[in-house]
Amino acid sequence: MARWRRFMLRLLYDNKIDRAAKARARIGLAILLFAAIYSIIALRLVIFAAASDGRNPHRAVTGDAIATARPDILDRNGEILATDVRVPSLYAEPRRLIDVDEAVELLTADLPDLDATESRERLSSKRGFVWLKRDITPEQQREIYRQGLPGIGFLNENKRAYPNGPEVSHVIGHVNIDNQGIAGMEKWLDGHGLAALHMAGLATDRLQNPVQLAVDLRVQHALRDELVAAHTKFKTLAAAGLVLDVRTGEIIAMVSEPDYDPNNPHEALDPTRINRLTTGVFEMGSTFKAFTIAMALDSGKVTLKSSFDAHGPMHVGRFQIHDFEPENRMLTIPEIFTYSSNIGAARTALAMGVDAHKAFLKKLGQLDRLRTELPESAEPIVPRHWGELNTITIAFGHGLSVAPLQALMGVGALMNGGFLIPPTFLKRTEEEARALGKRVIKPETSEMMRYLMRLNVEKGTARKADIPGYYIGGKTGTADKVVNGHYSKSSVLTDFMAVIPADKPRYLLLIMLDDPKASPETHGFKTSGWNAVPVGGAVVARIAPLLGVEPRLDLPDADHLILASMKESR
Amino acid sequence: MTFRILNLIVIGILILAAAYVYRIKFDSTVQAERLAKIRSEVRRARDSIAELRAEWTQLDNPARIEGLTKRYLQLKPITPAQFDSLDKLPERPPQFFKLDSPDPIGAAIEKLEEPDTTGSLAAPAAPSAGHDSPVDDSAPTANPDQ
Repeated sequence: MARWRRFMLRLLYDNKIDRAAKARARIGLAILLFAAIYSIIALRLVIFAAASDGRNPHRAVTGDAIATARPDILDRNGEILATDVRVPSLYAEPRRLIDVDEAVELLTADLPDLDATESRERLSSKRGFVWLKRDITPEQQREIYRQGLPGIGFLNENKRAYPNGPEVSHVIGHVNIDNQGIAGMEKWLDGHGLAALHMAGLATDRLQNPVQLAVDLRVQHALRDELVAAHTKFKTLAAAGLVLDVRTGEIIAMVSEPDYDPNNPHEALDPTRINRLTTGVFEMGSTFKAFTIAMALDSGKVTLKSSFDAHGPMHVGRFQIHDFEPENRMLTIPEIFTYSSNIGAARTALAMGVDAHKAFLKKLGQLDRLRTELPESAEPIVPRHWGELNTITIAFGHGLSVAPLQALMGVGALMNGGFLIPPTFLKRTEEEARALGKRVIKPETSEMMRYLMRLNVEKGTARKADIPGYYIGGKTGTADKVVNGHYSKSSVLTDFMAVIPADKPRYLLLIMLDDPKASPETHGFKTSGWNAVPVGGAVVARIAPLLGVEPRLDLPDADHLILASMKESR
Repeated sequence: MTFRILNLIVIGILILAAAYVYRIKFDSTVQAERLAKIRSEVRRARDSIAELRAEWTQLDNPARIEGLTKRYLQLKPITPAQFDSLDKLPERPPQFFKLDSPDPIGAAIEKLEEPDTTGSLAAPAAPSAGHDSPVDDSAPTANPDQ
């Protein structure tokens, strides 16, 4: 180091330090400095020249994209459920406007529904930018453009379009005017990263991956069509239906009639149009007997041959429990199920005990809020002090209100071999479902339950749903509705859960009618067997070919097919 | 003197380089403009595709198709009785001639002249769909089981 320093000194000042040498050295230093500065400037110029070639991509998009883009929503077969279309919107820059009155006059001529006074007010303001009308047609845009008004312009915005109208409304939900999801799967999309993208201004492109749902548009339409027909035929307050894949937990169709058109989101505000399947809780009635019987069979203490006393009425404290069609004798388990005996179910549940009953329903997810992708969900109404009386009533489906989707999930577990699989609106494979599902009952119990479900269609309350070829199994339910805190004698809620086919279950169908009226056609009855069951049968006949369920016409009855195969496997 | 010539050469090179750079820059501007134009065309095309797809979906909506079908066609929903399984298909009728023989008609006549091995009745003139007639194994068959 010292040698280098000495060398430099000699180079700069010679050996003797004199003024001339010092000046030379200073000039040399200045030259070096300027050379460095100029080379930096040159380098920057090169960088600018190179960079300005790649244009800012956002510059080309001026006049575009105020509302942000959303990915398309597809059904399971790739049909579009929701997509973005570009629509022109009309704006004005009041400062650049010459004659406000002329502008208002010409604009209202082209847009008859434009409010003249409000527009005049907006145009007279001193603001730089005002919206005049969002979402105008291309023809209107052409007309206004032709008038050549200064200070009036158009911006292309993304607008959400739902080409299927009200068909899938409750599943996909809808968006607000700024294209943000406010209900259904649209809201779920926002919650899963889309909102953050919007915030960063990145979601203006169409190249986002579409989201595929589990819903099948054809099945959804068939279900909705039948429910709309039932809605008018039985003069119900509401009619709802759900199709669930029992092996994967996918929701293939979900309809809650009356529904709304997501293209016209004002309709969604009407409280009668809520989604009853996830947002409402109901006492499901006799379909809950499936849980009671499954609990008894799964405990191993009760077999299909066991019988319980069904002499009525049953007195509990100051309450009396009646059967709809009293048999007044000992009933076996299949008889309790097919005659839908309240007393039989109550005695079965009592034999298992209050704690076991509560634990079993907890295991099947009936006591906790069920959350799906949809933002809307409802907490089940569980009695605070669960005593013997509660067990008795809950055994036949009163005194515990659950979301219908929740009940269907539980029955799905009874059907599919004993796996409780959380339902989903997104596509899911069987392997994924198996990883998610947890075993809640033994496979033998599930087989016995399928036998009972089939038996109920062959001989019990669901005979009107026996569509030949599809081997339907089902359980009916009729619950008295609570009106002003009392059980109403006149209005009921009927439901029907069907499994197709009962020997190798693939799909589970729920039909729920709120307050169906009796008619001469139903011989004055309004129990489930006269309204929900025939609707369920009609739905199965329509959707089974769409779902690829193979019709088999020469199958033996439940005793020979399901029961016999159970005995063989043992 | 040499210094002057060197200067002139350097100035010449400088002018040439400037002209060249200017051309490159100009070309790149033209290219960039073309790119921007194509981009906006692509965007417009994509927008109209989206619009047409939305319109197609609207026209393809099951409710609309159902309404049209009910009005103009005599189609009815499928019933379970209309399905059958493949193994219930009847046997394929016997093949009377080889497809690849040079004289298919002659071969068919020869086949007909052979005595029927199963029936006591005389062989019919036209090939019948007899289920137990001998099937020519060498002929190409469309039996799905094979």
